[in-house]
Amino acid sequence: MTDVTRRLSRSAAAASLVLLAPCAAVAQTPAEILRRVDANMTITTAHARAEMVIRYRGGDVRTLRYESWARGTDEAFIEFTAPARDAGSRFLRRDDAMWIFLPRVGKSVRIQGHMLRQGMMGSDISYGDASERPSMVEDYDATIERRDSLDARPVWVLLLVARRADLSYPRRRLWVDAERNVPLREERFAAGGRLLKTAVLGDVRRVGSRWYPFRMELDNALDTETTTTLNILEMRLGVSVPPEVFTLRYLEGGR
Amino acid sequence: MSRARSRIPLVRLAARNALRHTRRSALTAVAIAVAVTALVFFQSYIRGVVDDLLDTYARTESGHVRIRREGYAAREHFLPAHLNLREVTELVSEVARDPEVRDVVPRIRAFVLVDGAASNRPGLVLGVDLPREADYLRPAGMVAAGRLPAPDRAEALLGERFAEKLGVGVGDSLTLLSQTAYRSLGGLRVEVAGIARTGVSYLDASLVVLPLGQAQVLLDLEEGATELVVFAREPEGADSLAAALGTRLGDRMGPLEIRSWREQGPLVRLTDLIGVMIGLVMLLLFGMASLVIVNTMLMTVLERKREYATQAALGMRRGDLVRQVVVEAAVIGLAGALAGAVAGSAVALWLERVGLDFTSASRTLELPFESIVHPDWRLGPALGMALAGVVVAGIAAVVPAWRVARQPPAEALRG
Repeated sequence: MTDVTRRLSRSAAAASLVLLAPCAAVAQTPAEILRRVDANMTITTAHARAEMVIRYRGGDVRTLRYESWARGTDEAFIEFTAPARDAGSRFLRRDDAMWIFLPRVGKSVRIQGHMLRQGMMGSDISYGDASERPSMVEDYDATIERRDSLDARPVWVLLLVARRADLSYPRRRLWVDAERNVPLREERFAAGGRLLKTAVLGDVRRVGSRWYPFRMELDNALDTETTTTLNILEMRLGVSVPPEVFTLRYLEGGR
Repeated sequence: MSRARSRIPLVRLAARNALRHTRRSALTAVAIAVAVTALVFFQSYIRGVVDDLLDTYARTESGHVRIRREGYAAREHFLPAHLNLREVTELVSEVARDPEVRDVVPRIRAFVLVDGAASNRPGLVLGVDLPREADYLRPAGMVAAGRLPAPDRAEALLGERFAEKLGVGVGDSLTLLSQTAYRSLGGLRVEVAGIARTGVSYLDASLVVLPLGQAQVLLDLEEGATELVVFAREPEGADSLAAALGTRLGDRMGPLEIRSWREQGPLVRLTDLIGVMIGLVMLLLFGMASLVIVNTMLMTVLERKREYATQAALGMRRGDLVRQVVVEAAVIGLAGALAGAVAGSAVALWLERVGLDFTSASRTLELPFESIVHPDWRLGPALGMALAGVVVAGIAAVVPAWRVARQPPAEALRG
């Protein structure tokens, strides 16, 4: 997708969001629901400060803090700021490619192959999860399973089946807030139907003209050692992000 | 009565009878010889494989006793670096004070992601004190190209197939990423000093040997290790040594898991089944040989029916008749068993010298198993198998012998 078509699709999505919002509770097609989710969750530019809380089975808790910059769905830069032991660890994502930089190594490493399945900084979010940004409406065929309610919010429950074979999750089940177009819960499955991960999104806040989840709890069904919670502490949309932030030179050199 | 029985030269008679129909006797002897040959070789081979497995497992994995932080075994499949042993020097000195301890070596075991020229792949880091591991992990013997890493430099010895997959060779640089003792992400840049060929499939495909100090840097494990591997003076006493070390260390060093090699996995316990396995093979082979002996001896006694009847008519007791047939079979069995023991021993001894190369097969095995197996021949078991062959031949002849003894002499002479 070119920049121009992406911008056009975003504009169309934003327009449809405005136009269709009052009718959200009425019957819709699954594609329309997904299109509005994509539109709501896609940002132009953003800067956020967040914390990653990893809870271990034995009761230990590790809290990491980071800052992130993003442009569209294709470019993101993350730098961990705390604790001191992890400060300076950086990640760059461009399209589907991802690199890591550790200060003590002094060299960026492309994350690929087996490493994509590893947990980012020891969390339940795999590097594959972090690097893959599927467009729900373009990459999945959806069917509506039912109307339901979740945490007192009206939701559509959708079953998504991947159109492409290279996606990490061939099937997903999505609970979408019917009025705010925000996913509130997601189950990710392997091709054979085995549950791989469960994400619970919450603390939904209004940011400008959209609703955005500020908390995500992720549980890896295959790894019972940990659960991970991401809390966005501060988020600004539409900020100016210099293009050089999303380069390997910046990754290795820092700000 | 006993004087009369002692006058019958049973062995001489049996030997003479055995030579009366050499082809049939040879068939009986061959049946026993084949069984004994196979068993002597099989026993030596199995002992060689088991010794190899246990030795490699103890040297590379379990020691005779392994000391780790409490809770490690339950999470072993993660190789959790946060469950570690600090102040290892003090711990090593304390363990070494036990008179049953031959040696004790600290090791660091961790999963890493290795970024090479062609790709990045998961690997197994083994951080070891290279000079002290000369008799245990034997790193010098693994080096297929290059050299061992220098203890104080960021260098690595890389498994041969692992290096192939990563597309790196001696002198190339690698980046290692791993979860540290604080559960954060650690990294280390190392140079490939050498390529290792361990002969153990999974190690060749994943091993990264680092000097202990470098592994400590990678995992933020200053002065620490993930395990202490203890080698006993008497491996058979590993269970009691583990208990003694538990008492000696107590909780002074924090809660520990002290396990003998029998407690660490099913491999050592499985070797207890080896005797059962050999017993079953013995039963099968001697069973088949017995069928041949029963048949040939039945033919013999039918052929000599009148002869036995005459002996009975002249006053030979039933018991003597039975003994005569049984001893004849045993004499033939002795010849076969000796030939079998010699043949089986010759094959086992030759293969003990040259070894059996299972390199291609071992590539698919996930066992600590050297690619070249050397059978372990021992005189005692070989003689035992020969003796068993003689006994089986004699027992197999009881049925035909009993038939002779029960036959009325007059009827046999008429027929």
